[in-house]
Amino acid sequence: MSYFAKIFILLIAATIFPIMAMIVPLIIQPRQPNKEKNSQYECGVDTVGRNIIRYRISYFLYAIIFVVFDVETIFLFPWAVKFNDLGLFALVEMFIFAGILAIGLAYAWKKGALTWK
Amino acid sequence: MNLYVIYPEITVLVLALALIIIDLLLPSEETRRPLGYITILVLSILAISLFWQYHLTISAYFYQGLFYYDNYAIFFKQLFLLAVILTVLFSLQYIDTMKYSSEFYSMILFALTGMMILASANDFLTFFIGLELMTISFYALSGFGLTNKKSSEAAIKYLIIGSLSTAVTLYGISLIYGTAHSFDFAVVCKNPEFFSALGIAGMMMITAGIFFKMSIIPFHMWAPDTYEGAPVPVTGLLAMGSKAAAIAVFMRILFEAFFPAADYFMPVLAVFSAICMIGGNIAAMKQKNIKRMLAYSSIAQAGYMMVGICAASPQGLKGVLFYAFLYVLANTGAFAVVTVVALEKKGTDYEQFTALSQSAPVLAMVMSVSLLSMAGIPPTAGFAGKLYLFMAVVEHGYLWLAFVGFIMSMLSVYYYLKVVRVMYTGKSDGSTITISGAVRAAVLISMTATVVFGVWPQYLSMLTDFAAITFLR
Amino acid sequence: MNNDLNPALFYFLAAVMLLSALAIVYCRNLVYSALFMVVCFLSIAGLYAMISADFLAAVQIMVYAGTIVILIVLCIMITRRTTMERTNMPEKKYILRASVLAGLLFFLLAYIFVNSEVLPTTNNIIALSGDTVSGLADLLLGHYMLAFEIAAVLLLAAMIGAVVLAKGADEK
Repeated sequence: MSYFAKIFILLIAATIFPIMAMIVPLIIQPRQPNKEKNSQYECGVDTVGRNIIRYRISYFLYAIIFVVFDVETIFLFPWAVKFNDLGLFALVEMFIFAGILAIGLAYAWKKGALTWK
Repeated sequence: MNLYVIYPEITVLVLALALIIIDLLLPSEETRRPLGYITILVLSILAISLFWQYHLTISAYFYQGLFYYDNYAIFFKQLFLLAVILTVLFSLQYIDTMKYSSEFYSMILFALTGMMILASANDFLTFFIGLELMTISFYALSGFGLTNKKSSEAAIKYLIIGSLSTAVTLYGISLIYGTAHSFDFAVVCKNPEFFSALGIAGMMMITAGIFFKMSIIPFHMWAPDTYEGAPVPVTGLLAMGSKAAAIAVFMRILFEAFFPAADYFMPVLAVFSAICMIGGNIAAMKQKNIKRMLAYSSIAQAGYMMVGICAASPQGLKGVLFYAFLYVLANTGAFAVVTVVALEKKGTDYEQFTALSQSAPVLAMVMSVSLLSMAGIPPTAGFAGKLYLFMAVVEHGYLWLAFVGFIMSMLSVYYYLKVVRVMYTGKSDGSTITISGAVRAAVLISMTATVVFGVWPQYLSMLTDFAAITFLR
Repeated sequence: MNNDLNPALFYFLAAVMLLSALAIVYCRNLVYSALFMVVCFLSIAGLYAMISADFLAAVQIMVYAGTIVILIVLCIMITRRTTMERTNMPEKKYILRASVLAGLLFFLLAYIFVNSEVLPTTNNIIALSGDTVSGLADLLLGHYMLAFEIAAVLLLAAMIGAVVLAKGADEK
């Protein structure tokens, strides 16, 4: 459990720091508002039209392929950790596993799921 | 580790992967018909080769008690192969009209792999992953009618309710694992804490999850909409393969993992089976769409098969196997006809079937034989199947269940004959439907087999005896 | 960490999880619901870490809190809405029946869990030799190798299905 205590302390520290960084300026900052400063984009171009539009399905295709390979990483990770003890047979298994998913990647590539149109 | 034990799965899987690669290499304007022929050829060889796998010796495991390769599993693998071969055969034309036809073939093969794994699964992990492979492929397959709004509706409904049932199953498995500290069916049934409240809750949840897949009333809400909206070949496979696979794995779980509780299960199953037979048949009467009618009739058929499980004897089990086989045959006949009509007349309501006997006499005849077999009228195999089921359950003392089944079979004749009446009466619009050789082959195989096994049931019954006895010793 | 802190931490994480789960259901804006899902998943990861399932906690954060929620937000983005207000309205029609059923299930399961003697407690927890990752590697690549390979097929099938459905919807 002490193993997680370090992570827990890190988490608490990581939460406190940004909060402090927001509170301290609130106390010590000088306040001189003007119209330009209060606009949404102080520098840059003003937005045109609605901000909620229908996004392209290509985003989704990338995301779904990302999920698949993300999950593959999960399976790869234990194998990589125990690589030395597992031996040749596990290597073959892993190659079959990765090979099946490589076919999926080839499929997505060839069908244009990875190209932006 | 016995690699030869999983050779059917490896074959189907390699075929599916090969189809994907061939599809990528073929130019996109080329027809994908050859992929269908390859599928049929390879699967047929595989199905025939499985005949030599039946054995009298002790059955083999793949690895340390996982993945049991007994006659029961081999029988069901052949059944699924038959269902897929016939479905691909009668829907070659239908699949050609789809935009993603090669993906359709591979997805069907993925679903087939899932079913075959379910037939052999001997631990809850393999069971779960096989179930997931099958259902996830079916979620996608039901949405393959991309231009059809109803197809999307079918896919979404199936996905949501299917995921719910998966979650319930998974929770049940985790509870069982919590009491038994093992996934293995053989260990679960010897677990000293088997009858603890936790174990019973787990059993109930797993059973409920499988009932969803079998579409047993009251877990059937998804079935009619999904069956109606999905592309016709997918509906056929859902009705045949998915249901048969769920029954196969349910019987194995019930008689292997839950064996100490099997006696307590029987009255519950009897009630569910009666509800299914009554509800399915009565709801089927009111339907105006043939696919919906077949959906409700398949719910009733699941009820009949449950009757055999209630008998909890080799005879009952043999009845279930026999009935599952002829159920697949009758359904391929019916769905082949529905596929052709859906393709030609753009609909599957009763009106589209008007005077089918004049535009396509073969189809009308096959449809009639298939429906009569489902109703259990004597010269067809359905009669023999129901006879086996009801005899087995009467021997076990459930006279009332056999009585309900008998009455409901009589009632079901009404709506099956309604289709026949529509097909043989009414005014024809003069059009004729040309039937391709593949469809003709599929429907003739299913019709011939239905009649042959009806007149001489002993040939099929030898096989089912073999499969049933080695399983329930 | 000493053992006195454990219950406090557990109740804290459980409370965060339950509150964010309620927020997922009751936020009227679907995007907020999706973001509360991250909080919910993170607290579940914390619970996993508390029972020494460190790999599972990492997976929970990586796959669920990271990827799945992003996927859900993307799905919200690609379905057109003029405004995100009132996109997650509770269904009032079945609320009574649903709550009665859910309540019954809850009390039944609670009764079972409270009275159960077989559940792992601090006394009968099975100690794992080595860390969880190597234990998992042995199981996945040894005993359950078949399920492991089928998992790859499952991922492939899901991916092809999703690509076909998404591209099909795009080209229509």
